[in-house]
Amino acid sequence: MICDFLKTCCADPLKLLGEWFVLLPAMVLLLSAAAAAVMRNLIRAALCLTLSFIALGIVFITLGAEFVGFVQLLVYVGAVAMVIVFAILLTRPDQLAKSGSAFSGLGPAGGAAAGFVALAVLLGFIFASPLAKKPLSAPVSAPVAAIGEALMGDYVVALIAVGILLTAALVGASVLALEDKQP
Amino acid sequence: MTLQILLAISAVLFAFGLVATLSRSNAIMVLIGIELMLGASNLNFIVFWRFSENPAAMVGVMFAIFSIAVAAAEAAVGLAIIILVHRRINSVEADDASNLKG
Repeated sequence: MICDFLKTCCADPLKLLGEWFVLLPAMVLLLSAAAAAVMRNLIRAALCLTLSFIALGIVFITLGAEFVGFVQLLVYVGAVAMVIVFAILLTRPDQLAKSGSAFSGLGPAGGAAAGFVALAVLLGFIFASPLAKKPLSAPVSAPVAAIGEALMGDYVVALIAVGILLTAALVGASVLALEDKQP
Repeated sequence: MTLQILLAISAVLFAFGLVATLSRSNAIMVLIGIELMLGASNLNFIVFWRFSENPAAMVGVMFAIFSIAVAAAEAAVGLAIIILVHRRINSVEADDASNLKG
């Protein structure tokens, strides 16, 4: 296995670079996601989450889905991360919880155990599947023009439904957040 | 590079999100965990599209785009609810919001 790997590296250095091109942002993604999940400080967790969103967008771009990658950067890094930071600032979480603990529910041990069980089940299925051995094929691309035509053609009903959903969600969010204080 | 590696990365990302959702006390951290899990599912859509027999159909790309849109709506409503709860009970701890009457 290592021999094959070295052989492909020597035969085609670009192939190795191509793999690292995907694997490097993926490693950044996993590290920053882990930091975001366990960080005590909320602002730092939100910034780690932003870093993981950026890395996820780069992974999308390296996999050939440029449009989805840029949408990921715009929507998640530009909007969702900022909304989360705003919510953190508005709710002033710098005063620590009354219990003084950052964990509740299952607690750190229970949460880690649940995550480990889920991970073991998922990895078991992934590595047992014969489909998963499939190697990377020739580069594929999703041209923006084709995406636009598909959105306006086959997926137009879904597009309109998402538009209605977004309008309803944003109006509902404004109504919820603007509600006056109870007497 | 095989499908396995990318799916394993996605599974690890999902597990991190699950840990944050199940074990953190702050409601905003629970939402951050949900965002991580949604990111893992989007990564799965793109990876399966990348390895599909007919990538020109772009089913995975479409699914990821709509998933991102729904996730944005979910984050907006979730954070609005958290701000409202903070206004009512002056806390964003998930355990403190235990009264259904509001």
